[in-house]
Amino acid sequence: MQQEKERAMINEMVAKLTTVCWDKCITGTPGSKFSSSEQTCLQNCARRYLDMSALIMKRFQNMQ
Amino acid sequence: MDSFSSPSSGSSSQFNSDAFKDQLKNQLAQAYAEEFLETLRSKCFDKCITKPGSSLSGSESSCVSRCMDRYVEATGIISRALFSGPPH
Repeated sequence: MQQEKERAMINEMVAKLTTVCWDKCITGTPGSKFSSSEQTCLQNCARRYLDMSALIMKRFQNMQ
Repeated sequence: MDSFSSPSSGSSSQFNSDAFKDQLKNQLAQAYAEEFLETLRSKCFDKCITKPGSSLSGSESSCVSRCMDRYVEATGIISRALFSGPPH
């Protein structure tokens, strides 16, 4: 049951990040493949989101 | 069709948790599929149907097709970036 919960949370996160990063990175009409800059943007987007999330947690804890 | 009826064989006095778990998994999968479809509709309409005409043109249709492929690909890229990237 716990595993299912984790899996569900992970799916949620991937789905949400994909919609956000798609908007940020895929600015033109979709092509028949991604350019390497689009690919890099998507990867960076996901990772920077995690970095930002960690930063927010850290600062938030300092606010308490 | 009553999707919550208990199995007729076996101990009917016991709640069958395996059947319940399977049902839960199925419903979860279905919910995700629907959410994904809704996202596809939204994103691809934005990108591909910029000036709605009196019917879908061939280029609008191929755009939607490509859009779906790219979006699925993007989901994979994000998923891998989150779970197998360099440590930070």
